[in-house]
Amino acid sequence: MQRNKQVAMGRKKFNMDPKKGIQFLIENDLVKNTSEDIARFLYKGEGLNKTAIGDYLGERDDFNIQVLHAFVELHEFTDLNLVQALRQFLWSFRLPGEAQKIDRMMEAFAQRYCQCNPGVFQSTDTCYILSFAVIMLNTSLHNPNVKDKPTVERFISMNRGINDGGDLPEELLRNLYESIKNEPFKIPEDDGNDLTHTFFNPDREGWLLKLGGGRVKTWKRRWFILTDNCLYYFEYTTDKEPRGIIPLENLSIREVEDKKPNCFELFIPDNKDQVIKACKTEADGRVVEGNHTFYRISAPTTEEKDEWMNSIKAAISRDPFYEMLAARKKKVSSMKRH
Amino acid sequence: MGNYFTMIFSRPFPKKQIKLLMVGLDAAGKTTVLFKLKLGEVVTTIPTIGFNVETVEYKNISFAVWDVGGQSKIRGLWKYYYQYTEGLIFVVDSSDHDRIETAAEELNAMLAEDEMRDAVLLVLANKQDLPKAMPVHELTDRLGLHALRGRQWFVQATCAVQGSGLYEGLDWLSDQLSRR
Repeated sequence: MQRNKQVAMGRKKFNMDPKKGIQFLIENDLVKNTSEDIARFLYKGEGLNKTAIGDYLGERDDFNIQVLHAFVELHEFTDLNLVQALRQFLWSFRLPGEAQKIDRMMEAFAQRYCQCNPGVFQSTDTCYILSFAVIMLNTSLHNPNVKDKPTVERFISMNRGINDGGDLPEELLRNLYESIKNEPFKIPEDDGNDLTHTFFNPDREGWLLKLGGGRVKTWKRRWFILTDNCLYYFEYTTDKEPRGIIPLENLSIREVEDKKPNCFELFIPDNKDQVIKACKTEADGRVVEGNHTFYRISAPTTEEKDEWMNSIKAAISRDPFYEMLAARKKKVSSMKRH
Repeated sequence: MGNYFTMIFSRPFPKKQIKLLMVGLDAAGKTTVLFKLKLGEVVTTIPTIGFNVETVEYKNISFAVWDVGGQSKIRGLWKYYYQYTEGLIFVVDSSDHDRIETAAEELNAMLAEDEMRDAVLLVLANKQDLPKAMPVHELTDRLGLHALRGRQWFVQATCAVQGSGLYEGLDWLSDQLSRR
């Protein structure tokens, strides 16, 4: 029991700072101090943030590189083509964006791929260079910051001579190109309850002041994110986990007068004294139920107050169950058409 | 009078897209530089698996910055991205005395590429806040910049974590590039 709790704590530490997390797990005899054992822990990935795994595997430290190699060894790529193998590999952690890290990871990947599939490539180097080229292709075709999208001809000429001086079959390169063009590498989903992926493309986000729920009421500046019918607030914009979560279901919103300007509040209609269902994280890391009967919030400007109120109203009236059904219907009808 | 002219000449016609490459050894601070330059802009794009690429809007110029690098074996691939590159940002960890020679080799290999012939060079002497940081003149020497012929170059002291020096570097770049 104690052990499970410690492992959970180790995972949490790992997600915040991979090096410290591993150190904690080793010190408490939860993971052995060998590259193989750490690799197994990362490969299993239970409750781990995949960006954190990628950060750890990407470090230039000799030991981290050993872990990277042990981690790659745990993958089975036999009878997969290169892109299939890459898709599987890149799902097990979030590939970092630094060229040198990608370089090391592709080199380790290529060694394993060639070990699982002898004879497919003339040499490990060919496989490594081609894998690197595929990552470049994915970046060029799918990163919106890249304006100049390469054609298949350019991809082919870019790979001239990478097969120990010779060329790879053009058909192979065309197939790779088409595969990446039609289906970009997916951002791996985290195992466990990490919330980072919840916060892409929120309905609205920004700084607001929030009145505390305790006996002595103080105004605190918080970073608010509105998404998925919930209002999340954070202490800093870069925090990965929110300080509090307010589900908007069954709540109403209204403008209120306060000493602070541009105020509005969230409340339960017809029930003044009932505590709103919500949760927050205490300073010591415990997650507790919220103690607010209403949430009073102050926006920096009148315009922002109006925008927030409109967005929240829209979120409240949205029915997630109805939307799920609608999405499913759409999917079924589009499948019929094809 | 001088100011008046700069104003006219520095905002000529529609916005230019300029391709910049960013290189430097591991842990020199490239990612921090990219993120600091992006700060203050709303990032709503869906993340992509692959290399860090950012577009930075500054002084009527739109910079597209690629994080490039890796072993010499894959240098052939990058060549395709070097084409039409107008500037090279070389980030160096000023406190890393052990690897300054390696950094100099990396820089020279990059500058030797045919496609980089016309690129201007901005060196960011990063991590200037660290106690052992080499000053700009020492880095200039050790990177062999005085030996460069026919190349516009500039060394800017930076501390990317705090964001200092970065815009001064971009100022120099936009100055050089808008003259073209």
